[in-house]
Amino acid sequence: MEPTIVWSLIAGMALTNIIVRATPVAVMSRFELPEALRRWLSYVPVSVMSAMVALEVFKPSDQWRVTLANPYLLAAIPTALVYRFTRSFLGATIAGIGAFLAFRYLLG
Amino acid sequence: MPETTGSLSPTSASRFLRGVRLGMPVFLGYMPLGMAFGLMAVAAGFTVAQATACSALVIAGAGQYLAIRMIAAGGLATTLIAVGVVNLRYLLFSASIAPHLSGVPPWQQGLLAFTLTDETFAINAADAREGRADRFSMLGVGAISWVGWTLGTLIGSLAGSAIGDPNAWGVGFALPAMFTALLVGQLTGKREYVAAALAAGSALALSLFVQRDWALVAAAIVAATVMTVAP
Repeated sequence: MEPTIVWSLIAGMALTNIIVRATPVAVMSRFELPEALRRWLSYVPVSVMSAMVALEVFKPSDQWRVTLANPYLLAAIPTALVYRFTRSFLGATIAGIGAFLAFRYLLG
Repeated sequence: MPETTGSLSPTSASRFLRGVRLGMPVFLGYMPLGMAFGLMAVAAGFTVAQATACSALVIAGAGQYLAIRMIAAGGLATTLIAVGVVNLRYLLFSASIAPHLSGVPPWQQGLLAFTLTDETFAINAADAREGRADRFSMLGVGAISWVGWTLGTLIGSLAGSAIGDPNAWGVGFALPAMFTALLVGQLTGKREYVAAALAAGSALALSLFVQRDWALVAAAIVAATVMTVAP
């Protein structure tokens, strides 16, 4: 592919990305935010994570899998339990990968 | 967030290293995804240097996959607009992390913003909730994630098809597993359970009509708004 095009693409993407990611931090960290907005923002992480898990588990790779024979869904259960009792993200991630491989093998 | 400055507080280096450890699941998930991007980029006509530079400078998983699919057929401008739109969700993440970054020097804010992804956001937000995250731990999370994504891309673009399908080792579940653990960590009270249920339901319903990233952002906005206005 034409090098100028590829490098322009990379530069353009790098620029738009940093603008989108840095502007709210740069602007909003300077002011004391109104209570309602802070409250709203405090619910963003739990909502994002729950939405993410729902999509990853029931619609992995953009394919619906609304069935119990779903290794993503089944593997999420031991992952959650391992985190609940060990409080280790890494431990839970590794346990989850192991469980996923096992369920995928068992379910064919 | 509050930072203790007493003589007993851990050094900035040890807090950074704590962040690196915290970010290991992200590293684990990014390596294979980066490898896949490296493979695809080279197949699309990028050189090894271009593929690696793209990951090192942009770190946007979905945006980068989209870019190499689009650039071959579409023009430069259309591709850039599409990637920008896909990455608009970072406005929301950046806003949500902003209250924790007041008083942090601008260059560190810049680095943190640069390494802001779905995954680093999730790790740092969960850590902040437990009152432990500080700018050094967040920089550690960002650094190890950046290394995973960039190194993975380098390996993928060099190795080509010789490495086979990383999915055979189950690494495709690394990020879903990490998000599951992060979600469990966020469920600290009744209101959080309600927010999570609302967000999960809205995301799945919305994904019937709009593309995945939009469903995610819209679901988060719906859930956060309902929880803010509900008594």
